[in-house]
Amino acid sequence: MNIMEIQNVQYAYDGKKKVLKGVNAQMEQGRMYAILGPSGCGKTTLLSLLGGLDSPTSGQILYQGEDIAKTGLADHRRSHVAFIFQSYNLIDYLTPIENVALTSKLPPLPILEQLGLTAEEAKRNVLKLSGGQQQRVAIARALASDAQVILADEPTGNLDEDTAAEITAILKDSAHKSGKCVVIVTHSNELAKEADVVFRLRKGDLQILDTSE
Amino acid sequence: MNLVIRAVLYTGRKWKKTLLLFCLLLTITTLVLSGLAIADAQEKQTEEVRGTTGASFTVERDLSTGGWTSGYSTQRFMTEDMIQKIAATDGIAGYDATLITLPRFFNSKREPLVIETNFSCYCYGSYNSQYHELFLSGRFELVEGTHITDDLTNGAIISRQLADQNGLKIGDTVTGIYYPENNTPAVDMEIIGIFDIVADKGDQINMYDDASYYDYSNYIFCSMKASEDMLKGWGEDSDGISEAYFYVTDAAQLDNVIRKVQGISSIEWDNFKITANNEVYQNISGALTDTSSLITTLIALITAVSMVLIILILSMSIRGRKHEIGILLAVGIAKPAVIFQYALETFLIAIVAFPLAYLASQQAAGTLGTLLGKTVENVIVTSQHFTLVAVAGSILLAAAVLVSCIPIMRLKPKTILSQME
Repeated sequence: MNIMEIQNVQYAYDGKKKVLKGVNAQMEQGRMYAILGPSGCGKTTLLSLLGGLDSPTSGQILYQGEDIAKTGLADHRRSHVAFIFQSYNLIDYLTPIENVALTSKLPPLPILEQLGLTAEEAKRNVLKLSGGQQQRVAIARALASDAQVILADEPTGNLDEDTAAEITAILKDSAHKSGKCVVIVTHSNELAKEADVVFRLRKGDLQILDTSE
Repeated sequence: MNLVIRAVLYTGRKWKKTLLLFCLLLTITTLVLSGLAIADAQEKQTEEVRGTTGASFTVERDLSTGGWTSGYSTQRFMTEDMIQKIAATDGIAGYDATLITLPRFFNSKREPLVIETNFSCYCYGSYNSQYHELFLSGRFELVEGTHITDDLTNGAIISRQLADQNGLKIGDTVTGIYYPENNTPAVDMEIIGIFDIVADKGDQINMYDDASYYDYSNYIFCSMKASEDMLKGWGEDSDGISEAYFYVTDAAQLDNVIRKVQGISSIEWDNFKITANNEVYQNISGALTDTSSLITTLIALITAVSMVLIILILSMSIRGRKHEIGILLAVGIAKPAVIFQYALETFLIAIVAFPLAYLASQQAAGTLGTLLGKTVENVIVTSQHFTLVAVAGSILLAAAVLVSCIPIMRLKPKTILSQME
């Protein structure tokens, strides 16, 4: 069943420069999607539209068949989606536990430990953690929320190879074991290879490159 | 995690920013509280001046419109009815009129009172002796008993010297006779008050009335009725009330009160004239108005500069938190909740700064007040000042947070985050 659907979405910066020219796609739960494309092609913009951080110039983004513009973008961000950013986007005056608690009503420590942080690290200031640890906190924040859709923008972009592989595995598990719909924007072919479906965004159009099924 | 917890965590962990805002709020609130206390002290001083500078007006016979006989004016005297009508006008605090006689006084055994220097006493018939110029100016001070009031018919106030010389006390009776040789009426009066002479006895200007050579100790104040009774059969045609003094409750309203009095149609104003006596008030009020304006301007200036400073600091602080705003919006926290969190952080600081400023201003107000010529005792920061500043300050702080948030809150979360990228 489609959990998210992109219907003829167009987007233009300042109403002039069109980066998305009628994009269509469907995404299901339990699958990991990768969106590839050159820099500036509109990948992050598409992810932002899926996450309700911005509105399309025309077209619709549906969540479980309902237009998110009608149900409310803030509500969509709060209840349906969770973001993982390349630059982690953690709040600097909060500890990892408190950052995870921003979106979760469950105790944050078990999930942080599950992602490899110790109890002591979970109570430190986030800025005192390594890049990999900070990205784990960002993933924990996304996984701990009730969101069924995880939107990740270059989640391994700032990480070394080993850590990137670990993070990729975690995201894959989130889709396959936890039943989430994971959408990843990436330049990395390594990461894209792990996805169930790979899209390529080119000249404002989204095309399926590969599907593992 | 709710916004209250986030606000508390931010305030505690970003302690340098908290400290900066705390110091600013403490300083500003202390200055504003001190300013309000000084302004109030100034207002009280102004009110006191308006009420106590003795602004008054005199109603007197207009000798220029009356005729003359043997060197005496034939202009009519003032009547009690006329005086009462004027006294009933709104804005008049008290009044007095004098009928001066030079009677001889006797004790209950009909022995003449022993007096200094003079042959007779200098007697003021009075309606309300507390408004007599000798008492208002402080030259005399009532030290025992009560003043003469217009409901008394046979009361008298004598000096302590006269009382001591003749063994008289409150409740004793003395008898006044205007002209014993001509059998004018003997009028019994009860001593209801004793005054001390405060004026310097060595000072000839103060010691002697310009119009007489009577020693102050020989001055007697008696009820107007008693004074009139003494004149019966001898001087009622040539002696009467020539002038009356009316004191207003508010010196600033003197002209209005005079206009009302001039509108009393039953008084034939061709025969009487009114003179305003407010020179003292005019002189003092000018200086007071200047000081009041200075204080008001200072408070307004401090408040305005403070608001600008607070808005600048909050704007810079919130601009520095752009990234955080983007994250909070991205995880679905609504814009009003973010603004409320920032307002709450400011209030948390204000909750500590305001009461401390209240304590600090107790000291600062007195010190600042002395610079503006106020006595420390009069400059008091009250709980009303605190409530006013706390409520108005909270509203202004909320407005400042709102104004500071506007530029960032207009942006979409994606714009904020992409700018941070």
